[in-house]
Amino acid sequence: MKVRSNSALKTILTIALNTFREAVRDRVLYNLVIFVLLIIACAILLGDLTDGNEARTIVNIGLNAILIFGAFIAIFVGVSLVSKEIEKRTVFAIFAKPVRRSEFVLGKYLGLCLTLLVNVVVMGVGVSLALVYVKGGSLIYSIWGSILLIFLELTILTAVAILFSSFSSPALSALLTFFTFVIGHMSASLRDLAAGLGSKFAVFFFEVIYYLLPNLAHYSFRTEAANGMVPTSPMIGGAVIYAIVYSSILLLVSALIFRRRNFK
Amino acid sequence: MNKSSLQYVLSGIFLVLGFIAVFGLSNYLERNRVSLPEAYQDEDLTLQGKRLKGYVLGAEGLMADWYWMQSLQYLGSKIISSKNENFDLGDLRPLNPRLLYPYLDNSTELDPKLMAAYTFGATMLPAIDTSKAIDLTEKGIANNPDSWNLYHLLGYIHWRNKDYEKAAQAYDAGMKLPGAPSFMRIMAASMRTQGGSRETARVMYKQMLASDPDAQTKTNAEFRLKELDALDDLDAINATLKAFTERQGRCASGWSEILPLLQNVKLPEGRSFLIDSSDSVVDPTGIPYSIDRSTCKAQIGPESTLPPS
Repeated sequence: MKVRSNSALKTILTIALNTFREAVRDRVLYNLVIFVLLIIACAILLGDLTDGNEARTIVNIGLNAILIFGAFIAIFVGVSLVSKEIEKRTVFAIFAKPVRRSEFVLGKYLGLCLTLLVNVVVMGVGVSLALVYVKGGSLIYSIWGSILLIFLELTILTAVAILFSSFSSPALSALLTFFTFVIGHMSASLRDLAAGLGSKFAVFFFEVIYYLLPNLAHYSFRTEAANGMVPTSPMIGGAVIYAIVYSSILLLVSALIFRRRNFK
Repeated sequence: MNKSSLQYVLSGIFLVLGFIAVFGLSNYLERNRVSLPEAYQDEDLTLQGKRLKGYVLGAEGLMADWYWMQSLQYLGSKIISSKNENFDLGDLRPLNPRLLYPYLDNSTELDPKLMAAYTFGATMLPAIDTSKAIDLTEKGIANNPDSWNLYHLLGYIHWRNKDYEKAAQAYDAGMKLPGAPSFMRIMAASMRTQGGSRETARVMYKQMLASDPDAQTKTNAEFRLKELDALDDLDAINATLKAFTERQGRCASGWSEILPLLQNVKLPEGRSFLIDSSDSVVDPTGIPYSIDRSTCKAQIGPESTLPPS
Protein backbone atom coordinates (compact mmCIF):
# COMPACT_ATOMS: atom_id res chain seq x y z
CA MET A 1 0.00 0.00 0.00
CA LYS A 2 2.84 2.34 0.99
CA VAL A 3 4.74 1.43 -2.17
CA ARG A 4 1.68 2.34 -4.28
CA SER A 5 1.22 5.74 -2.56
CA ASN A 6 4.93 6.54 -3.04
CA SER A 7 4.70 5.59 -6.65
CA ALA A 8 1.52 7.69 -7.10
CA LEU A 9 3.22 10.69 -5.56
CA LYS A 10 6.21 10.23 -7.85
CA THR A 11 3.92 9.98 -10.87
CA ILE A 12 2.02 13.12 -9.90
CA LEU A 13 5.26 15.07 -9.35
CA THR A 14 6.67 13.88 -12.68
CA ILE A 15 3.54 14.99 -14.52
CA ALA A 16 3.57 18.31 -12.63
CA LEU A 17 7.20 19.02 -13.53
CA ASN A 18 6.57 18.09 -17.15
CA THR A 19 3.57 20.41 -17.24
CA PHE A 20 5.72 23.23 -15.87
CA ARG A 21 8.46 22.53 -18.45
CA GLU A 22 5.85 22.47 -21.19
CA ALA A 23 4.46 25.83 -20.06
CA VAL A 24 7.97 27.29 -20.16
CA ARG A 25 8.52 25.77 -23.62
CA ASP A 26 5.20 27.25 -24.76
CA ARG A 27 6.52 30.70 -23.73
CA VAL A 28 3.80 31.17 -21.12
CA LEU A 29 6.30 33.09 -19.00
CA TYR A 30 6.75 35.66 -21.77
CA ASN A 31 3.86 37.56 -20.15
CA LEU A 32 6.42 38.58 -17.52
CA VAL A 33 8.13 40.78 -20.10
CA ILE A 34 4.88 42.68 -20.74
CA PHE A 35 4.28 42.93 -17.01
CA VAL A 36 7.77 44.30 -16.35
CA LEU A 37 7.33 46.90 -19.12
CA LEU A 38 3.97 47.90 -17.62
CA ILE A 39 5.44 48.35 -14.16
CA ILE A 40 8.47 50.28 -15.43
CA ALA A 41 6.15 52.60 -17.37
CA CYS A 42 4.00 53.10 -14.26
CA ALA A 43 7.02 53.82 -12.06
CA ILE A 44 8.31 56.45 -14.48
CA LEU A 45 5.08 58.06 -15.60
CA LEU A 46 2.79 58.01 -12.58
CA GLY A 47 4.64 60.66 -10.57
CA ASP A 48 2.99 63.58 -12.35
CA LEU A 49 -0.39 61.94 -12.80
CA THR A 50 -0.78 61.13 -9.13
CA ASP A 51 0.60 64.35 -7.67
CA GLY A 52 3.48 62.52 -6.02
CA ASN A 53 1.40 59.65 -4.59
CA GLU A 54 2.47 57.06 -7.16
CA ALA A 55 3.35 54.26 -4.70
CA ARG A 56 -0.24 53.27 -3.90
CA THR A 57 -1.20 53.46 -7.58
CA ILE A 58 1.73 51.22 -8.51
CA VAL A 59 0.48 48.73 -5.92
CA ASN A 60 -3.06 48.91 -7.30
CA ILE A 61 -1.98 48.55 -10.92
CA GLY A 62 0.65 45.93 -10.11
CA LEU A 63 -1.58 43.69 -7.99
CA ASN A 64 -4.51 43.91 -10.41
CA ALA A 65 -2.16 43.14 -13.30
CA ILE A 66 -0.82 40.10 -11.42
CA LEU A 67 -4.38 38.85 -11.02
CA ILE A 68 -5.40 39.54 -14.62
CA PHE A 69 -2.23 38.01 -16.12
CA GLY A 70 -2.52 35.03 -13.78
CA ALA A 71 -6.22 34.59 -14.53
CA PHE A 72 -5.53 34.54 -18.27
CA ILE A 73 -2.85 31.89 -17.80
CA ALA A 74 -5.05 29.84 -15.46
CA ILE A 75 -7.98 30.00 -17.89
CA PHE A 76 -6.28 29.54 -21.26
CA VAL A 77 -3.54 27.15 -20.22
CA GLY A 78 -5.84 25.39 -17.75
CA VAL A 79 -8.50 24.51 -20.32
CA SER A 80 -5.91 23.20 -22.78
CA LEU A 81 -3.98 21.06 -20.29
CA VAL A 82 -6.07 17.96 -20.85
CA SER A 83 -7.53 18.67 -24.27
CA LYS A 84 -4.07 19.16 -25.84
CA GLU A 85 -2.95 15.73 -24.67
CA ILE A 86 -6.08 14.21 -26.17
CA GLU A 87 -5.76 16.14 -29.41
CA LYS A 88 -2.09 15.19 -29.84
CA ARG A 89 -2.86 11.59 -28.86
CA THR A 90 -0.07 11.71 -26.27
CA VAL A 91 -2.67 10.71 -23.72
CA PHE A 92 -2.52 7.13 -25.03
CA ALA A 93 1.22 6.96 -24.42
CA ILE A 94 0.73 8.25 -20.89
CA PHE A 95 -2.04 5.82 -19.98
CA ALA A 96 -0.11 2.93 -21.50
CA LYS A 97 2.11 3.36 -18.43
CA PRO A 98 0.90 2.67 -14.88
CA VAL A 99 -0.65 6.13 -14.50
CA ARG A 100 -4.12 6.60 -13.09
CA ARG A 101 -6.37 9.21 -14.64
CA SER A 102 -6.79 10.94 -11.27
CA GLU A 103 -2.98 11.15 -10.96
CA PHE A 104 -2.82 12.64 -14.42
CA VAL A 105 -5.41 15.34 -13.55
CA LEU A 106 -3.74 16.15 -10.24
CA GLY A 107 -0.27 16.28 -11.80
CA LYS A 108 -1.46 18.62 -14.54
CA TYR A 109 -3.14 20.83 -11.93
CA LEU A 110 -0.05 21.04 -9.72
CA GLY A 111 2.18 21.74 -12.75
CA LEU A 112 0.09 24.74 -13.72
CA CYS A 113 -0.02 25.90 -10.10
CA LEU A 114 3.79 25.81 -10.09
CA THR A 115 3.84 27.89 -13.29
CA LEU A 116 1.47 30.38 -11.69
CA LEU A 117 3.56 30.48 -8.52
CA VAL A 118 6.70 31.37 -10.48
CA ASN A 119 4.68 33.99 -12.34
CA VAL A 120 3.22 35.72 -9.31
CA VAL A 121 6.50 35.65 -7.41
CA VAL A 122 8.44 37.24 -10.29
CA MET A 123 5.69 39.81 -10.80
CA GLY A 124 5.62 40.51 -7.05
CA VAL A 125 9.36 41.13 -7.12
CA GLY A 126 8.77 43.49 -10.07
CA VAL A 127 6.19 45.49 -8.09
CA SER A 128 8.52 45.56 -5.06
CA LEU A 129 11.39 46.94 -7.17
CA ALA A 130 9.09 49.56 -8.68
CA LEU A 131 8.10 50.58 -5.14
CA VAL A 132 11.76 50.91 -4.17
CA TYR A 133 12.28 53.11 -7.26
CA VAL A 134 9.44 55.48 -6.26
CA LYS A 135 10.53 55.46 -2.59
CA GLY A 136 7.41 53.58 -1.52
CA GLY A 137 9.34 50.82 0.21
CA SER A 138 6.98 50.85 3.21
CA LEU A 139 4.30 49.17 1.05
CA ILE A 140 6.49 46.23 0.03
CA TYR A 141 5.65 44.26 3.16
CA SER A 142 1.91 44.74 2.70
CA ILE A 143 1.76 43.59 -0.95
CA TRP A 144 3.02 40.06 -0.30
CA GLY A 145 -0.01 39.08 1.76
CA SER A 146 -2.21 40.16 -1.11
CA ILE A 147 0.01 38.32 -3.62
CA LEU A 148 -0.39 35.11 -1.62
CA LEU A 149 -4.17 35.54 -1.76
CA ILE A 150 -4.01 36.17 -5.51
CA PHE A 151 -2.05 32.94 -5.95
CA LEU A 152 -4.62 31.01 -3.92
CA GLU A 153 -7.40 32.50 -6.05
CA LEU A 154 -5.56 31.39 -9.19
CA THR A 155 -5.25 27.84 -7.88
CA ILE A 156 -9.05 27.72 -7.52
CA LEU A 157 -9.49 29.18 -10.99
CA THR A 158 -7.14 26.54 -12.42
CA ALA A 159 -9.24 23.81 -10.81
CA VAL A 160 -12.37 25.37 -12.33
CA ALA A 161 -10.71 25.45 -15.77
CA ILE A 162 -9.70 21.78 -15.46
CA LEU A 163 -13.22 20.81 -14.37
CA PHE A 164 -14.86 22.48 -17.37
CA SER A 165 -12.24 21.12 -19.77
CA SER A 166 -12.89 17.59 -18.52
CA PHE A 167 -16.28 17.52 -20.26
CA SER A 168 -16.35 20.47 -22.65
CA SER A 169 -14.49 21.98 -25.59
CA PRO A 170 -11.56 24.35 -24.84
CA ALA A 171 -13.37 27.45 -26.13
CA LEU A 172 -16.52 26.80 -24.12
CA SER A 173 -14.45 25.85 -21.07
CA ALA A 174 -12.53 29.12 -21.26
CA LEU A 175 -15.78 31.06 -21.48
CA LEU A 176 -17.36 29.20 -18.56
CA THR A 177 -14.24 29.63 -16.43
CA PHE A 178 -14.16 33.33 -17.20
CA PHE A 179 -17.81 33.66 -16.15
CA THR A 180 -17.03 31.79 -12.95
CA PHE A 181 -14.15 34.21 -12.31
CA VAL A 182 -16.43 37.23 -12.78
CA ILE A 183 -19.41 35.88 -10.83
CA GLY A 184 -17.10 34.49 -8.15
CA HIS A 185 -15.99 38.04 -7.44
CA MET A 186 -19.50 39.42 -7.44
CA SER A 187 -21.44 36.68 -5.68
CA ALA A 188 -21.50 38.47 -2.32
CA SER A 189 -22.64 41.75 -3.89
CA LEU A 190 -25.25 39.95 -6.00
CA ARG A 191 -26.59 38.22 -2.90
CA ASP A 192 -26.88 41.59 -1.13
CA LEU A 193 -28.56 43.05 -4.19
CA ALA A 194 -31.05 40.17 -4.33
CA ALA A 195 -31.86 40.67 -0.64
CA GLY A 196 -32.83 44.24 -1.48
CA LEU A 197 -35.08 43.20 -4.36
CA GLY A 198 -37.55 41.41 -2.11
CA SER A 199 -38.03 38.47 -4.50
CA LYS A 200 -37.81 35.12 -2.69
CA PHE A 201 -36.69 33.34 -5.84
CA ALA A 202 -33.91 35.89 -6.44
CA VAL A 203 -32.75 35.56 -2.84
CA PHE A 204 -32.71 31.75 -3.11
CA PHE A 205 -31.02 31.78 -6.53
CA PHE A 206 -28.20 34.10 -5.48
CA GLU A 207 -27.84 32.29 -2.16
CA VAL A 208 -27.20 29.07 -4.12
CA ILE A 209 -24.77 30.88 -6.44
CA TYR A 210 -23.00 32.35 -3.42
CA TYR A 211 -22.25 28.98 -1.88
CA LEU A 212 -21.96 26.87 -5.02
CA LEU A 213 -19.51 29.00 -6.97
CA PRO A 214 -16.10 29.85 -5.53
CA ASN A 215 -16.30 33.03 -3.48
CA LEU A 216 -13.31 34.81 -4.93
CA ALA A 217 -14.10 38.04 -3.06
CA HIS A 218 -12.39 36.35 -0.08
CA TYR A 219 -9.13 36.72 -1.99
CA SER A 220 -9.48 40.41 -2.87
CA PHE A 221 -7.10 42.32 -0.66
CA ARG A 222 -5.59 44.62 -3.28
CA THR A 223 -7.23 47.87 -2.20
CA GLU A 224 -6.30 47.19 1.41
CA ALA A 225 -2.69 46.39 0.45
CA ALA A 226 -2.45 49.74 -1.36
CA ASN A 227 -3.33 51.34 1.98
CA GLY A 228 -0.54 49.49 3.76
CA MET A 229 -2.78 46.85 5.37
CA VAL A 230 -1.74 43.23 5.86
CA PRO A 231 -4.14 40.25 5.94
CA THR A 232 -4.46 38.69 9.40
CA SER A 233 -3.34 35.12 10.13
CA PRO A 234 -6.95 33.83 10.50
CA MET A 235 -7.78 35.39 7.14
CA ILE A 236 -4.79 33.77 5.41
CA GLY A 237 -5.40 30.47 7.18
CA GLY A 238 -9.08 30.46 6.21
CA ALA A 239 -8.23 31.40 2.63
CA VAL A 240 -5.68 28.57 2.35
CA ILE A 241 -8.13 25.99 3.72
CA TYR A 242 -10.96 27.27 1.51
CA ALA A 243 -8.70 27.05 -1.58
CA ILE A 244 -7.57 23.52 -0.70
CA VAL A 245 -11.11 22.29 0.03
CA TYR A 246 -12.73 23.93 -2.98
CA SER A 247 -9.96 22.88 -5.39
CA SER A 248 -10.08 19.31 -4.01
CA ILE A 249 -13.83 19.13 -4.68
CA LEU A 250 -13.38 20.38 -8.24
CA LEU A 251 -10.43 18.08 -8.92
CA LEU A 252 -12.32 15.11 -7.54
CA VAL A 253 -15.27 15.80 -9.85
CA SER A 254 -12.84 16.37 -12.75
CA ALA A 255 -11.11 13.05 -12.05
CA LEU A 256 -14.46 11.22 -11.88
CA ILE A 257 -15.58 12.71 -15.21
CA PHE A 258 -12.18 12.09 -16.74
CA ARG A 259 -12.23 8.45 -15.61
CA ARG A 260 -15.38 7.80 -17.61
CA ARG A 261 -14.19 9.72 -20.64
CA ASN A 262 -13.66 7.86 -23.89
CA PHE A 263 -10.71 9.21 -25.88
CA LYS A 264 -11.61 7.56 -29.15
CA MET B 1 22.55 43.12 -54.47
CA ASN B 2 20.67 39.87 -54.85
CA LYS B 3 16.91 39.55 -55.10
CA SER B 4 16.40 38.60 -51.46
CA SER B 5 18.41 41.58 -50.14
CA LEU B 6 16.52 43.88 -52.47
CA GLN B 7 13.23 42.59 -51.05
CA TYR B 8 14.42 43.32 -47.49
CA VAL B 9 15.55 46.84 -48.43
CA LEU B 10 12.28 47.59 -50.22
CA SER B 11 10.28 46.20 -47.30
CA GLY B 12 12.30 48.37 -44.89
CA ILE B 13 11.71 51.48 -47.01
CA PHE B 14 8.02 50.66 -47.23
CA LEU B 15 7.79 50.25 -43.44
CA VAL B 16 9.53 53.57 -42.77
CA LEU B 17 7.39 55.40 -45.33
CA GLY B 18 4.31 53.70 -43.96
CA PHE B 19 5.02 54.87 -40.41
CA ILE B 20 5.75 58.40 -41.62
CA ALA B 21 2.38 58.37 -43.42
CA VAL B 22 0.66 57.05 -40.28
CA PHE B 23 2.28 59.80 -38.21
CA GLY B 24 1.11 62.48 -40.63
CA LEU B 25 -2.36 61.00 -40.95
CA SER B 26 -2.79 60.78 -37.19
CA ASN B 27 -1.98 64.47 -36.83
CA TYR B 28 -4.25 65.32 -39.75
CA LEU B 29 -7.16 63.41 -38.20
CA GLU B 30 -6.50 65.02 -34.81
CA ARG B 31 -6.59 68.48 -36.38
CA ASN B 32 -9.79 67.75 -38.26
CA ARG B 33 -11.60 66.14 -35.37
CA VAL B 34 -14.98 67.67 -34.67
CA SER B 35 -14.64 69.15 -31.20
CA LEU B 36 -17.25 68.26 -28.66
CA PRO B 37 -19.37 70.98 -27.12
CA GLU B 38 -17.86 72.33 -23.90
CA ALA B 39 -20.83 71.14 -21.86
CA TYR B 40 -20.04 67.54 -22.87
CA GLN B 41 -16.79 67.58 -20.96
CA ASP B 42 -18.67 68.53 -17.81
CA GLU B 43 -21.38 65.94 -18.23
CA ASP B 44 -22.30 64.39 -14.90
CA LEU B 45 -20.56 61.14 -14.07
CA THR B 46 -22.56 58.18 -15.29
CA LEU B 47 -21.11 55.72 -12.83
CA GLN B 48 -21.24 56.28 -9.11
CA GLY B 49 -18.57 54.88 -6.86
CA LYS B 50 -20.92 53.31 -4.35
CA ARG B 51 -22.76 51.46 -7.15
CA LEU B 52 -19.51 50.13 -8.57
CA LYS B 53 -18.44 48.75 -5.22
CA GLY B 54 -18.51 44.97 -5.27
CA TYR B 55 -18.79 44.74 -9.08
CA VAL B 56 -15.26 45.56 -10.26
CA LEU B 57 -13.65 42.20 -9.45
CA GLY B 58 -11.99 43.53 -6.31
CA ALA B 59 -10.26 46.37 -8.16
CA GLU B 60 -11.98 49.09 -6.12
CA GLY B 61 -8.62 50.58 -5.16
CA LEU B 62 -7.56 50.87 -8.79
CA MET B 63 -10.90 52.48 -9.73
CA ALA B 64 -10.52 54.87 -6.78
CA ASP B 65 -7.06 55.84 -8.04
CA TRP B 66 -8.49 56.37 -11.50
CA TYR B 67 -11.21 58.74 -10.23
CA TRP B 68 -8.70 60.56 -8.08
CA MET B 69 -6.26 61.00 -10.99
CA GLN B 70 -9.21 62.18 -13.09
CA SER B 71 -9.95 64.81 -10.44
CA LEU B 72 -6.36 66.08 -10.63
CA GLN B 73 -6.44 66.17 -14.43
CA TYR B 74 -9.89 67.74 -14.44
CA LEU B 75 -8.95 70.69 -12.24
CA GLY B 76 -5.56 71.02 -13.93
CA SER B 77 -7.12 71.19 -17.39
CA LYS B 78 -9.66 73.75 -16.15
CA ILE B 79 -6.82 75.93 -14.88
CA ILE B 80 -4.72 75.50 -18.03
CA SER B 81 -7.63 76.23 -20.38
CA SER B 82 -8.69 79.26 -18.33
CA LYS B 83 -8.51 82.48 -20.33
CA ASN B 84 -7.78 84.48 -17.17
CA GLU B 85 -4.10 84.04 -16.31
CA ASN B 86 -4.39 85.90 -13.00
CA PHE B 87 -7.18 83.82 -11.48
CA ASP B 88 -7.30 83.61 -7.72
CA LEU B 89 -6.39 80.22 -6.25
CA GLY B 90 -8.62 81.14 -3.34
CA ASP B 91 -11.71 81.37 -5.55
CA LEU B 92 -11.92 78.84 -8.35
CA ARG B 93 -15.65 79.30 -8.96
CA PRO B 94 -15.11 81.25 -12.21
CA LEU B 95 -13.60 78.04 -13.65
CA ASN B 96 -16.81 76.14 -12.80
CA PRO B 97 -15.08 72.88 -11.80
CA ARG B 98 -18.35 71.33 -10.67
CA LEU B 99 -17.23 67.72 -11.25
CA LEU B 100 -14.36 67.92 -8.78
CA TYR B 101 -16.51 66.89 -5.84
CA PRO B 102 -18.22 63.96 -7.65
CA TYR B 103 -14.82 62.65 -8.75
CA LEU B 104 -13.42 62.82 -5.21
CA ASP B 105 -16.64 61.46 -3.72
CA ASN B 106 -16.53 58.47 -6.09
CA SER B 107 -12.89 57.93 -5.35
CA THR B 108 -13.41 57.86 -1.59
CA GLU B 109 -16.53 55.69 -1.88
CA LEU B 110 -14.43 53.06 -3.64
CA ASP B 111 -11.48 53.39 -1.28
CA PRO B 112 -12.52 55.08 1.97
CA LYS B 113 -8.89 55.18 3.09
CA LEU B 114 -7.56 57.15 0.11
CA MET B 115 -6.05 60.01 2.13
CA ALA B 116 -4.64 61.80 -0.91
CA ALA B 117 -8.19 62.38 -2.20
CA TYR B 118 -9.35 63.83 1.13
CA THR B 119 -6.28 66.08 1.33
CA PHE B 120 -6.71 67.28 -2.24
CA GLY B 121 -10.41 67.90 -1.66
CA ALA B 122 -9.84 69.77 1.60
CA THR B 123 -7.27 71.98 -0.09
CA MET B 124 -9.05 72.75 -3.34
CA LEU B 125 -12.78 72.37 -2.67
CA PRO B 126 -13.00 75.34 -0.24
CA ALA B 127 -12.18 77.55 -3.23
CA ILE B 128 -15.26 76.14 -5.01
CA ASP B 129 -17.83 75.04 -2.44
CA THR B 130 -17.03 75.10 1.27
CA SER B 131 -19.96 72.86 2.25
CA LYS B 132 -18.75 70.12 -0.13
CA ALA B 133 -15.24 70.43 1.28
CA ILE B 134 -16.65 69.94 4.78
CA ASP B 135 -18.79 66.98 3.62
CA LEU B 136 -15.80 65.22 2.06
CA THR B 137 -13.53 65.81 5.05
CA GLU B 138 -16.17 64.72 7.56
CA LYS B 139 -16.67 61.58 5.46
CA GLY B 140 -12.90 61.05 5.68
CA ILE B 141 -13.02 61.40 9.45
CA ALA B 142 -15.92 58.93 9.68
CA ASN B 143 -13.94 56.41 7.60
CA ASN B 144 -10.58 57.10 9.26
CA PRO B 145 -11.34 58.15 12.83
CA ASP B 146 -7.70 57.78 13.90
CA SER B 147 -6.32 60.30 11.43
CA TRP B 148 -5.50 63.59 13.19
CA ASN B 149 -4.51 65.09 9.84
CA LEU B 150 -8.14 64.99 8.67
CA TYR B 151 -9.16 67.02 11.74
CA HIS B 152 -6.39 69.46 10.84
CA LEU B 153 -7.84 69.73 7.32
CA LEU B 154 -11.36 70.22 8.71
CA GLY B 155 -10.01 72.94 10.99
CA TYR B 156 -8.33 74.53 7.98
CA ILE B 157 -11.61 74.59 6.00
CA HIS B 158 -13.52 76.20 8.88
CA TRP B 159 -10.68 78.67 9.46
CA ARG B 160 -10.73 79.60 5.76
CA ASN B 161 -14.47 80.11 6.11
CA LYS B 162 -13.72 82.42 9.11
CA ASP B 163 -15.68 80.09 11.41
CA TYR B 164 -13.00 80.09 14.10
CA GLU B 165 -15.09 78.37 16.79
CA LYS B 166 -15.75 75.34 14.57
CA ALA B 167 -12.10 75.34 13.52
CA ALA B 168 -11.10 75.28 17.19
CA GLN B 169 -13.53 72.40 17.81
CA ALA B 170 -11.94 70.41 14.97
CA TYR B 171 -8.45 70.98 16.39
CA ASP B 172 -9.72 70.13 19.88
CA ALA B 173 -11.05 66.80 18.61
CA GLY B 174 -7.92 66.05 16.57
CA MET B 175 -5.42 66.81 19.33
CA LYS B 176 -6.86 64.03 21.49
CA LEU B 177 -5.93 61.37 18.93
CA PRO B 178 -2.82 59.26 19.43
CA GLY B 179 0.14 60.63 17.53
CA ALA B 180 -1.35 64.12 17.09
CA PRO B 181 1.47 66.71 17.09
CA SER B 182 1.60 69.60 19.58
CA PHE B 183 0.79 71.87 16.64
CA MET B 184 -2.86 70.76 16.96
CA ARG B 185 -3.05 72.05 20.55
CA ILE B 186 -1.46 75.37 19.52
CA MET B 187 -3.91 75.76 16.63
CA ALA B 188 -6.91 75.00 18.84
CA ALA B 189 -5.88 77.87 21.14
CA SER B 190 -4.91 80.21 18.27
CA MET B 191 -8.27 79.76 16.58
CA ARG B 192 -10.08 81.00 19.69
CA THR B 193 -7.76 83.90 20.52
CA GLN B 194 -6.52 85.16 17.13
CA GLY B 195 -8.32 83.13 14.46
CA GLY B 196 -8.10 85.75 11.75
CA SER B 197 -4.51 86.79 12.33
CA ARG B 198 -1.79 86.58 9.77
CA GLU B 199 0.41 84.69 12.20
CA THR B 200 -2.18 81.91 12.55
CA ALA B 201 -2.37 81.69 8.76
CA ARG B 202 1.41 81.44 8.54
CA VAL B 203 1.54 78.59 11.07
CA MET B 204 -1.30 76.83 9.20
CA TYR B 205 0.37 76.96 5.79
CA LYS B 206 3.80 76.10 7.15
CA GLN B 207 2.31 73.00 8.72
CA MET B 208 0.64 72.04 5.42
CA LEU B 209 3.89 72.57 3.56
CA ALA B 210 5.76 70.38 6.01
CA SER B 211 3.31 67.54 6.56
CA ASP B 212 1.04 67.08 3.56
CA PRO B 213 2.40 64.62 1.03
CA ASP B 214 0.78 65.76 -2.19
CA ALA B 215 2.37 68.29 -4.49
CA GLN B 216 -0.82 70.31 -5.11
CA THR B 217 -1.28 71.02 -1.40
CA LYS B 218 2.37 72.02 -1.08
CA THR B 219 2.09 74.34 -4.10
CA ASN B 220 -1.00 75.94 -2.61
CA ALA B 221 0.66 76.36 0.80
CA GLU B 222 3.79 77.86 -0.79
CA PHE B 223 1.67 80.31 -2.74
CA ARG B 224 -0.24 81.34 0.38
CA LEU B 225 2.99 81.82 2.34
CA LYS B 226 4.29 84.10 -0.43
CA GLU B 227 1.04 86.03 -0.26
CA LEU B 228 1.46 86.47 3.51
CA ASP B 229 5.08 87.59 3.05
CA ALA B 230 3.90 90.12 0.46
CA LEU B 231 1.30 91.46 2.91
CA ASP B 232 4.02 91.87 5.55
CA ASP B 233 6.24 93.61 2.97
CA LEU B 234 3.45 95.99 2.01
CA ASP B 235 2.69 96.86 5.63
CA ALA B 236 6.34 97.72 6.23
CA ILE B 237 6.73 99.66 2.95
CA ASN B 238 3.53 101.65 3.56
CA ALA B 239 4.62 102.52 7.11
CA THR B 240 7.94 103.73 5.71
CA LEU B 241 6.20 105.73 2.96
CA LYS B 242 3.95 107.34 5.58
CA ALA B 243 6.95 108.29 7.73
CA PHE B 244 8.75 109.70 4.68
CA THR B 245 5.68 111.76 3.70
CA GLU B 246 5.35 113.15 7.22
CA ARG B 247 9.01 114.12 7.28
CA GLN B 248 9.36 115.49 3.73
CA GLY B 249 5.84 116.78 3.17
CA ARG B 250 5.59 114.81 -0.09
CA CYS B 251 5.42 111.25 -1.29
CA ALA B 252 8.65 109.47 -2.21
CA SER B 253 9.38 109.79 -5.93
CA GLY B 254 10.70 106.24 -6.23
CA TRP B 255 12.36 103.29 -4.53
CA SER B 256 15.73 105.04 -4.40
CA GLU B 257 14.39 107.51 -1.83
CA ILE B 258 13.02 104.97 0.61
CA LEU B 259 15.41 102.07 0.05
CA PRO B 260 17.90 103.29 2.72
CA LEU B 261 14.98 103.55 5.19
CA LEU B 262 13.66 100.08 4.34
CA GLN B 263 17.01 98.53 5.13
CA ASN B 264 16.43 99.38 8.81
CA VAL B 265 13.01 97.73 8.89
CA LYS B 266 12.72 94.33 10.49
CA LEU B 267 10.31 91.95 8.76
CA PRO B 268 8.62 89.00 10.51
CA GLU B 269 10.51 85.70 10.53
CA GLY B 270 13.83 87.59 10.18
CA ARG B 271 13.27 88.13 6.45
CA SER B 272 14.77 90.99 4.43
CA PHE B 273 13.25 92.83 1.49
CA LEU B 274 13.95 91.33 -1.92
CA ILE B 275 15.56 93.85 -4.27
CA ASP B 276 16.07 93.30 -8.01
CA SER B 277 18.89 94.54 -10.27
CA SER B 278 17.11 97.86 -10.93
CA ASP B 279 16.92 98.54 -7.16
CA SER B 280 13.17 97.98 -6.99
CA VAL B 281 11.63 96.12 -4.08
CA VAL B 282 10.07 92.94 -5.44
CA ASP B 283 7.42 90.59 -4.08
CA PRO B 284 8.22 86.90 -3.28
CA THR B 285 7.41 85.97 -6.90
CA GLY B 286 10.09 88.43 -8.13
CA ILE B 287 7.73 91.10 -9.54
CA PRO B 288 8.33 94.70 -8.32
CA TYR B 289 5.74 96.31 -6.08
CA SER B 290 4.26 99.48 -7.54
CA ILE B 291 3.82 102.79 -5.67
CA ASP B 292 0.55 104.59 -6.28
CA ARG B 293 1.63 108.25 -6.07
CA SER B 294 -1.96 109.49 -5.62
CA THR B 295 -2.49 107.55 -2.39
CA CYS B 296 1.24 107.19 -1.64
CA LYS B 297 0.81 103.49 -0.98
CA ALA B 298 2.63 100.45 -2.32
CA GLN B 299 0.67 97.61 -3.90
CA ILE B 300 1.17 94.30 -5.66
CA GLY B 301 2.52 94.88 -9.18
CA PRO B 302 0.06 94.33 -12.04
CA GLU B 303 2.19 91.53 -13.50
CA SER B 304 2.38 89.58 -10.28
CA THR B 305 0.51 86.30 -9.86
CA LEU B 306 -0.27 87.25 -6.25
CA PRO B 307 -3.79 88.57 -5.65
CA PRO B 308 -4.05 92.39 -5.54
CA SER B 309 -3.63 93.80 -2.04
